[in-house]
Amino acid sequence: MGIRRTMISVALALASASLAGMSAKAEDVKLVLWSLDRDIQPAPNLVKEFNAQKNGIQIEYRQLQFDDVVSEAMRAYSTGKAPDIITIDNPNHAMFASRKAFLDLTDMIGQSKVIKPENYFPGPLKSVTWDEKYYGVPKATNTIALYYNKDLFKAAGLDPEKPPQTWTELVATAKKLTNPSKNIYGITFSAKANEEGTFQFLPWAQMGGATYKTINSEGAVKALSVWKQMLDEKLASPDTLTRSQWDSTATFNAGNAAMAISGPWEIDRMLKDAKFQWGTALLPVPSEGAQRSSAMGDFNWAIFSSTKHPKEAFKALEFFASKDVTMYKDFGQLPARSDLPVPPTGNALKDSALATFVEQLKYAQPRGPSPEWPKISKAIQDAIQASLTGQTEPKAALDQAAARIKSIGG
Amino acid sequence: MSENARNRLLLALSIVMAAIYLFPLYWMYVTALKSGSEMFATPPSFWPSAAQWSTFAYVWESRNMGRYLWNSTVIAFGAVALIAILGTGCAYVLARYRNIWVDVGLFLILMFQVLPASLMITPIFVGFSQLGLLEYPRLAVILAITAKSMPFFVVLVRATFMAVPMELEEAALVDGNSRIGAFFNIVLPLARNGILVSAILIFMQAFGEFVYSKSMIQDIQFQPASVGLNSFMGPNTSEWNNIMAYATMYVTPILAIFVLLQRRIVSGLTSGALK
Amino acid sequence: MKRLFSSITDGRGFDLVLVGVPFTFLLALSGLPLAYNILMSFQEVDMFSLGSVIRPFVGFKNYVDLLTQPETMSILRNTIVFVVGSITGQFLVGFALALFFWINFPGASWLRGLFLVSWVMPGLVVGAIWNWILSGDFGVLNFLLQQTGLLNGNIFWRSDPNFSLWAVILANIWLGTSFNMILLATGLAAIPADLYEAAEMDGANAWQRFWTITLPMMRSTIGAIIALGLIFTLQQFDLFAAITDGGPNNSSNVAQYWAWDLSFRQYDFGKGATISVIMTVFVMFAATVYVRSTRHEVRG
Repeated sequence: MGIRRTMISVALALASASLAGMSAKAEDVKLVLWSLDRDIQPAPNLVKEFNAQKNGIQIEYRQLQFDDVVSEAMRAYSTGKAPDIITIDNPNHAMFASRKAFLDLTDMIGQSKVIKPENYFPGPLKSVTWDEKYYGVPKATNTIALYYNKDLFKAAGLDPEKPPQTWTELVATAKKLTNPSKNIYGITFSAKANEEGTFQFLPWAQMGGATYKTINSEGAVKALSVWKQMLDEKLASPDTLTRSQWDSTATFNAGNAAMAISGPWEIDRMLKDAKFQWGTALLPVPSEGAQRSSAMGDFNWAIFSSTKHPKEAFKALEFFASKDVTMYKDFGQLPARSDLPVPPTGNALKDSALATFVEQLKYAQPRGPSPEWPKISKAIQDAIQASLTGQTEPKAALDQAAARIKSIGG
Repeated sequence: MSENARNRLLLALSIVMAAIYLFPLYWMYVTALKSGSEMFATPPSFWPSAAQWSTFAYVWESRNMGRYLWNSTVIAFGAVALIAILGTGCAYVLARYRNIWVDVGLFLILMFQVLPASLMITPIFVGFSQLGLLEYPRLAVILAITAKSMPFFVVLVRATFMAVPMELEEAALVDGNSRIGAFFNIVLPLARNGILVSAILIFMQAFGEFVYSKSMIQDIQFQPASVGLNSFMGPNTSEWNNIMAYATMYVTPILAIFVLLQRRIVSGLTSGALK
Repeated sequence: MKRLFSSITDGRGFDLVLVGVPFTFLLALSGLPLAYNILMSFQEVDMFSLGSVIRPFVGFKNYVDLLTQPETMSILRNTIVFVVGSITGQFLVGFALALFFWINFPGASWLRGLFLVSWVMPGLVVGAIWNWILSGDFGVLNFLLQQTGLLNGNIFWRSDPNFSLWAVILANIWLGTSFNMILLATGLAAIPADLYEAAEMDGANAWQRFWTITLPMMRSTIGAIIALGLIFTLQQFDLFAAITDGGPNNSSNVAQYWAWDLSFRQYDFGKGATISVIMTVFVMFAATVYVRSTRHEVRG
């Protein structure tokens, strides 16, 4: 009996040990997080750090494409396959929040020691708010400003410390910098027929005194006319119509465009790729002393209302928010926080660019919020494309857009 | 003109045409070998000044391409196997008879592939998710590709069966074979070449399938190379040398297989196996 | 039971099983989604009601709305240009190549094989390559055209509304030529050689032989190719996504891309489905042509 008994007890012990081992693993709460961040951007790295804590919550990361975020998310949500956490472009936030697809975080934020609404810039905060409740947490914020190539400025006989201040100056400067024989365009930006085009155009329209509800006002028409002039006179590549901001700025980095309009997400790559002296400046205004404006960009964190682990998901958001301090240093992105002075990085070029963007951010306005934003944005994109291709006059194109936006009820 | 001179002229002419036709492919290989600055040089160089072989290692490592290619292979083999099993018999029957029901069948088969995958994906996704099939994402994609490509396979293979003389099958039946026996012993071996070639063509298509995989396979572990290429290209279409290096590693294996088998494929296709 | 079994191994049942299983499969995986699309075209569907079948019924509103939209006409015109342009190009180039390689010379079959490589290329990769070749400032096509003196100044293939659609057509012709060539080559190979010998003895020249023998004998092949070509062209999506995105200003937008754009960029699934229903009607026409073309087939 002895041997048999021992064997049985050993077997039992082994079995219970392995059972215990398995159940310990099964206790880990598994969360799924979707974001469009690449390996050098915040989300995947924050997830790695979070998982390394081994606090009983493991996050699985999935990378999406810019164009796919909303369509993948809504398809997943409507079939009950939504992730727990997602990062969503701020103008699309209202569409999900208004349909209660995102979790109302107001109470959890009220009790949180890490996430406090008063610590965030009003613009980003407004984008996560729907019906006076919080449906997300701003992840980062950005806006666009002007980059310029100081070497090319010198070569064209321009003062590299005096970037253009007004639209007229901008066009004149671009004209001087354009050099077709060397394949250099004066300026590059993006008028692509997606959200990027809207994002790039709205600041111009707003500086002219328009909003998306009055997109056919005189200032916006003037803004679009300036864009058209830059394309018609080949101061910007015709591919501006089809190129994303990231691709457009790549031509600046390669020395094929002397100025670029884009956001702070370019800085890290520019430091690496651009083999010339460059500087940054605020977006030029319609005329001297005119009101400044800018569009507020970047993504928000949100938790889907279908999640089975709202507490754990919020815990993850708290962890992410606690890392806002080092966001600029590590990833070159700006936290949406008013309570955190972004510390200098020690890299003079990076710090001076930061100063420009922080200044520009003061004038940033959110797009919307409107649950119909994709349609509103589409109307604006269509107007931009129709007039830049020369098929409709700027005024008529924006009139059409305004009529469409009105019928959407934006 | 002598026979010989004529042949040489035709050969030269066809080589020139092939060179023009294959230029896009050549451009892919050359771009993959260029450095970042040479890529955007004007005028473009038609031969890399210093071939950057390290690009391949870099892209292979950083994109984890081995896994992507493995998934593409699994999906393509699965789809071809399923299509061949389901489609061959269907094509055989549609070739055997000539009546109104065959017309209806052919018509339906074409109608079934009318919509591009980009529009079929929504209903399929909704249906699969309700059946729980999305838990097995590669299987789900295999099923979707099968539905997508089978009609084409049936159309091709049906033509092959048309070339098999009816009398042979009838003779086998008279000799006491059952229908099943006649099908497997007589008809199928005769149509083997055409079926094989059609299967290879379907394999190549399934290897590059994109829309279904992109939407149904969320776990990066199971994604095929097409989805990998898309997530690579997505935000930065300026790193053309890396993108082309990726494309090179993606298509070169199938191109190699194709070139090795091409005599067989071409003769299989042209010897009347298909018409 | 026994009768059923013997019918399956040796009778009508055998045929029914062979056809029935794949058709059930196709019905479930292609037929149902098609029906779902038709249903959606009469409903108001947004992203949150995708998962359910019961949605507000709106009758023909989606159809009326679409027809009154200003871009509809130009997109439909683009679709026709794209289909006709692509099929004509693919067919002519493919036929020319098939005829050329029909002449027997050493190396012909080997070289013909090279023309098939576009077949094995994934659409996405072809799109990426052509996007790069066609790019405005650094594209090699512009460079080659300028070197040969055909052009001075760059053409912005992807961004110029006059060229964007043709840029995609060009890539699509490249992609589809191999398919046309090989099917036409098989059709040519099937024409009995004695027909030509007889015609030659009657004194018909090459041109006459082409019109009186080749073309009529190829009727079913050509019908099949054009019908399949129409379906493939209407399905072409990857190239638009990779080269122009349908832009600028819809100048290269076609029905199949527009339907996707409406569904997945503007989240108006009802309208997206409506376009796909309209496209289905087009393909019904193509399918009829194909089925009719099989009437001329000769059983070997």
